[in-house]
Amino acid sequence: MINFEEELKKFHPSLEIEDAEEIIYNQDLDDIGDVVVKLLKDAKVESGKADR
Amino acid sequence: MRCYKCGATLVSGNDKCPSCGTNVKIYKRIMALSNRYYNEGLEKASVRNMTGSIESLRQSLKFNKNNIDARNLLGLVYYETGEVVAALSEWVISKNLRAEDNIADGYMDMIKNDPSTLDTFNQTIKKYNISLNYCHQDSQDLAIIQLKKVLSMNPGFIRAHLLLSLLYLNNGNYAKARVEAQKALNLDTGSVMARRYIHEAESMLNPNEIAKSEPKPEKKQQPKNGDVIRYQSGNEMIIQPVRSGVIGGSFSVWAIVVGIILGIAASCFLILPARIQSINSSNQKKIVAISEESDAKSAQINEYTEEVESLQAQVEELEGQLNQAEGTDSQTAAMNSLMTAVAAYLNDASDTESVATALEQIDIQLIQDGAISSEFTTLYNSLMTLVGASLATQYYDTGYEAYKSEDYETAITNLARAYSYDNTNVNALYYLGNAYYDSGDTDTAMQIFDQVITEFPDTQSAEGAEVKLAEINNASN
Repeated sequence: MINFEEELKKFHPSLEIEDAEEIIYNQDLDDIGDVVVKLLKDAKVESGKADR
Repeated sequence: MRCYKCGATLVSGNDKCPSCGTNVKIYKRIMALSNRYYNEGLEKASVRNMTGSIESLRQSLKFNKNNIDARNLLGLVYYETGEVVAALSEWVISKNLRAEDNIADGYMDMIKNDPSTLDTFNQTIKKYNISLNYCHQDSQDLAIIQLKKVLSMNPGFIRAHLLLSLLYLNNGNYAKARVEAQKALNLDTGSVMARRYIHEAESMLNPNEIAKSEPKPEKKQQPKNGDVIRYQSGNEMIIQPVRSGVIGGSFSVWAIVVGIILGIAASCFLILPARIQSINSSNQKKIVAISEESDAKSAQINEYTEEVESLQAQVEELEGQLNQAEGTDSQTAAMNSLMTAVAAYLNDASDTESVATALEQIDIQLIQDGAISSEFTTLYNSLMTLVGASLATQYYDTGYEAYKSEDYETAITNLARAYSYDNTNVNALYYLGNAYYDSGDTDTAMQIFDQVITEFPDTQSAEGAEVKLAEINNASN
């Protein structure tokens, strides 16, 4: 049996044209490649500290 | 594929960048995963599994944000599900990541060039959000009305179908809920929510009701009488006018010709009479105005005519008065002259010259017309009895001498006076006629000769006058 209230929570307001600019600017565009590069950089920094 | 560090083109089969020597093994793996998800998304989209396609394409973009194809396809899938703003967002980002040679340009141009469609989409989104608000405010009837409007404007809006289905389920209208969920499922075959709603609705319906609520295939009916086409679209009956080829074949040509003839006839029988009537009415008004003006002028002319007649009468009256005054003056002058003549005779009876001079001033015509008093006439006649014969002789002699010497003017004056003082002197009258004749006044001469013949017949002068008249008549013929 479907719970109407619970089911209704799954519906969100649709994006309107006026909101488009804000959505585009606030979109998180980082991908896994960025994350991996950052991890590698951090790992290098950590290893450099350990060597000292 | 390019190196994430230096941007150099990577070579397949080599895990190190040929330019900077960076190990790109993991990077290549990540790119491969992105492409794999893109391929999945593409396959799902091709079978209208929109939900699955969106999930795969998002995964693809999580691995590689620069996967332009995946981003453009994601935008297209969003657009197909009715999420226009989300679609535009993906295409704008795509355009920013790759400015040249990007198919997103075409998609955005398509929307820009059709602002009415974009406006319609925006209206549907706003109405959908209003419906959602109604749902939260427990105004489900209003929400259903709004959602029906939304779907009439944009039947591809999957979330609206699903929300409407949910509302029908909540209202206990399972058949309609099933239909709406089925429509959503047709648009998005991977929609788990739609399947769940269908399952829920079917669990509440008996098999007969399920069969009835089954959406019938859209089948066009053949027009029975050639004017409309009726067909079922979902649970809606569509009635559409038949688009028959109006222009085609000889019938159409005849129809056009008949139409033109009817048009001309209509203009002749309907428009032209009205136009003629309008012109006639206008002319009638002008005629009335001119008639009124003419009547006014006629009245004025009559007035002037009456005035002229009145003035003419005045003129005549004044002329009468003037003539009367002149007559009085001539009578007075005649009286004065007569008295002068009488005085001269009484002074010296032999001074005929003075008497004659005074008598010459008297207008004989006044006496002949009787326009003077009888006393004057009596006195005049008495004086003439005393001096008339001698005056007549004197004037005759002078006149005759003048006639002889061809002084016709003097001759006419004296001979005329001689005859006036003595009207028995036929010679005076005869020579007077000759004087007129010789002076060239033949008309007067003829009158004088006629008078001679009439008053003194059987005289030599009368014979001479007849001869002269014959000469004049011969000369004129």
